[in-house]
Amino acid sequence: MTVPSHRTASPHRPVPSREPVLDVRNLRVEYGGDGRSVVGADNVSFTIGAGEIFGLAGESGCGKSTVANAVMRLLKPPAQITAGSILFDGRDVLAMDPRELRAFRWREIAMVFQSAMNSLNPVLTIGEQIGDIFTTHERMRKRRARARSGELLELVGIDPARLKAYPHQLSGGMRQRVVIAMAVALKPTLLIMDEPTTALDVVVQQEIMAQIGDLQRELGFSVLFITHDISLMVELSHRMGVMYGGRLVELAAAKELFAQPLHPYTQALMNAFPPLTGPRVELTGLADTPRTEHGCGFHAHCPDDRSDCSTNIPDLREVAAGRFVARTGGGAR
Amino acid sequence: MMAPAAATRAPLLSVRGLTKDFRMGGLFSRDRHRALNAVDVDIPHGRIVALVGESGSGKSTLARCLARLEQPSSGQVLLDGEDVLRTQKRGASRAYRSTVQMVFQDPFGSLNPVHRVEHFLRRALLVHGRPAGEDELRELITTVGLTEDMLESYPHELSGGQRQRVAIARALAVDPRLVLADEPTSMLDVSVRIGILNLMRRLRDEHGISLLYITHDLASARYVADTTQVLFAGELVEGGDSLALMDRPAHPYTQLLLSAVPDPERTEGYDPVLRAGLRAAVLTPESCPYEDEGTCSRTEPVRHTVGEDDGQPHWVRCHLYAPATPTARRVLTAATPEVENV
Repeated sequence: MTVPSHRTASPHRPVPSREPVLDVRNLRVEYGGDGRSVVGADNVSFTIGAGEIFGLAGESGCGKSTVANAVMRLLKPPAQITAGSILFDGRDVLAMDPRELRAFRWREIAMVFQSAMNSLNPVLTIGEQIGDIFTTHERMRKRRARARSGELLELVGIDPARLKAYPHQLSGGMRQRVVIAMAVALKPTLLIMDEPTTALDVVVQQEIMAQIGDLQRELGFSVLFITHDISLMVELSHRMGVMYGGRLVELAAAKELFAQPLHPYTQALMNAFPPLTGPRVELTGLADTPRTEHGCGFHAHCPDDRSDCSTNIPDLREVAAGRFVARTGGGAR
Repeated sequence: MMAPAAATRAPLLSVRGLTKDFRMGGLFSRDRHRALNAVDVDIPHGRIVALVGESGSGKSTLARCLARLEQPSSGQVLLDGEDVLRTQKRGASRAYRSTVQMVFQDPFGSLNPVHRVEHFLRRALLVHGRPAGEDELRELITTVGLTEDMLESYPHELSGGQRQRVAIARALAVDPRLVLADEPTSMLDVSVRIGILNLMRRLRDEHGISLLYITHDLASARYVADTTQVLFAGELVEGGDSLALMDRPAHPYTQLLLSAVPDPERTEGYDPVLRAGLRAAVLTPESCPYEDEGTCSRTEPVRHTVGEDDGQPHWVRCHLYAPATPTARRVLTAATPEVENV
């Protein structure tokens, strides 16, 4: 536990450098209007190093997509970033003007959206859509763009002859690969993936994840990976954070977090997935109660030390090197 | 968890040789796509049977055939021994419909947004000629783990998990003996999936309802189902006790499916070479890594029992597990495929 968290990543992956590519600090996003506001993300801080895969886990509505959209500056009113800072390679993302943003998006941070495979334009061929990236961002000639598009498709294991295909002629898994290829087209420094495989079935999901792993090793970008599937995340990520009610409740190296979850919410989230081995035991899952201002909505499962939780989830506290948990009392269990 | 008595009783619903062809192309086209090929399944009383497979394997087609939403091309569906496809040719009788109910994947699409929850339940009761008083409604809504005040709610006021519970309550209104659940959790958030799975277990344990649980999530099938059947390209390839099947998967396709489930505790990790081999094996029988003679392309595999030595018996359709002696093989081929003993 005294090892720095970065070093505990699985051995076959390159060890990420310590200089963060993305530095999110005390980020607070509110959805306002009509005189009341809902906090989508509150006091969220994390960093992603070069070549690092960082995961954000949590159930729907926990704020993980809000954070991703904030990093891309995609939030539209009524959502508003009310506090905190986002630094990308030392530059202040929140201070960028529209022209800077246009250059920044896709070239430096690209994103694969949830149900991205439905985001392809149905009346344009795959080749036209990929080619668009090069003609728009790199002012490439059509012919050259076409060649590059073919190379990209090959990169994600699709026959370049498919450039002429329309999206409906491809399977869901192939469309998802096309979208991933488009995201890495300009060799971004950071790739954000918001539930990239949720709509796909297990076999295709596994193939896509392996593909992303290969691409990441090959191109060396960092990844902000968002999913509710903790097992999937642990397999892929170096470090991960668990979000609940707009706040990070735990932050640690993925393997450590999986082996020993410290926050009761993390434990409950992990307990929501039936295991593939061992005896069949009844699982309880998560409480179906919403979070209110009087409590985090999670009291039923909480152990002893929640003296301070009733009004808010406590701030992250470092309990061991690289291990942060939002608990008031006690240490590591 | 399992009552041994049920093993001796005839199954509630038996499917024999069920085949479904879809016409491809235009009105006069002769192209056919075989979505289901000679499927044999038994659904015993008070048990949950899981049907797993990838998208396009025919899982939903089977459920829709059983719900009589599709007309099978051939085969038998025996409910309490009565072949309903023969006796009720022109569509299911009301009695059949009240015995077999279906819950769909998308709770956002299956509830009419202009009606209150109460309406769905009352209507289901009335259509089937049952008393639809306050007491009945209250009992239904509490059975699925919702509160009485939700009877007054509109679907948009409910979460996905709550809506799916309403859809289940509606299915339960007619007091069915079999519920066909087509991916009931795949559109739901993780936090409520377990709740729906636990509800299914409770319906089985407390109400003796049988369920056909269709999913591509093998871990949840293992958690909730007594037996699991693996469907690949319209054919059942392996089946039996869920725990036995998933601890000792025999068929390459089952192994492929299981290897795709994310599991951080798996020690060997993802092996692309092995996966590619498995994938090739299930797509082109000639290249099966287990059987270099390519027997599958020449003869149809039949059901063999495997795992008896380990105390985890289940059946598999794969030549690799064929008995060694030609006599035994002939006997097995001749006999009607014996559906697994539960």
